[in-house]
Amino acid sequence: MDQSEIDALLAGGGKPAKKGKAASKAAEADRAPAPPPPPAPPSAPSVRAEPHKDGSGHVISELDTVTSVTERESNKVMDQLDQISRLVSRQQQLITDMMRHEGAQSQGVQKAIHEVMTASKEIQDKVFEAMDLMQFQDITRQKLERIVHHLRQIHDYIVDLLGTGLKSDSERPSISHTIAQTGTTPDENKAHADAVIEAFKTQKKG
Amino acid sequence: MKILIVDDSSTMRRIIINTLSRIGYTDVVEGENGKSGLEKLGQGGVEMIITDWNMPEMDGLEFVKTVRAQNAGIPILMVTTNAAKEDIVEALQAGVNNYVVKPFTPETLKEKIESLLG
Ligand SMILES: [Mg+2]
Repeated sequence: MDQSEIDALLAGGGKPAKKGKAASKAAEADRAPAPPPPPAPPSAPSVRAEPHKDGSGHVISELDTVTSVTERESNKVMDQLDQISRLVSRQQQLITDMMRHEGAQSQGVQKAIHEVMTASKEIQDKVFEAMDLMQFQDITRQKLERIVHHLRQIHDYIVDLLGTGLKSDSERPSISHTIAQTGTTPDENKAHADAVIEAFKTQKKG
Repeated sequence: MKILIVDDSSTMRRIIINTLSRIGYTDVVEGENGKSGLEKLGQGGVEMIITDWNMPEMDGLEFVKTVRAQNAGIPILMVTTNAAKEDIVEALQAGVNNYVVKPFTPETLKEKIESLLG
């Protein structure tokens, strides 16, 4: 395998002269334009040999571990945010009760309580924003899966080429094939998707 | 209104559930891939589906095609990192009613859900 072939594999569009099953499957996932490939059968039986635990196989398993650990840790952060959110809701209930209290009916006290309520709502909004930002976990995981996918291709290609060594372990099916095109702002994503949907609907009508 | 959320990322499911609850939808069932999504759908009562695309076992596209073969009417929203034009078109052809690219804002999700139910 020369550098250009490795580069082609890494770019996802390469068609090395000698291709293993893994490489052709991967090239399919990397998507040439139309016609779309048929959906992969669920849990296709693996034709691979035993996974190995050295070299690139080690890197692959490390990256797999990173993705599962980050998901677990992200859920812990979500748990904390959930708890903060519940506490803030409880606080807002207490503030509402306080407003109704007969000893709190003077204008000055009511104004102060309103300010506390406004601050509490701002905290709640920030908690929700933080939860929404946790989407990075899924997106980062899919980027890592894509890297793992390319590493498997390279690894299995080399094994095929040399005629020695063990193929990498089977991977998760259905990795993101166009994630490289995401990572723009949510607003840009939305505008792009909406434009495609609109064009599709117009074409369908016409 | 019972909503089925299918995504292999538990974090993502929680984010979607949080957004839904903020706009008043709290009756939610979850599936972690297309296969378990079909199981949950089979249990009945689901009136709308929000599904991811990239999932193990059965991906979102196959899930949508399977659902559509049995149920032409249920609203389906796909929420995925797949952002290429040809992906969006493929999903629409498979039968999704609307499409959201991750990362999304809660406003986008809200707008899409409301347009599906409207
Ligand atoms: Mg996914």
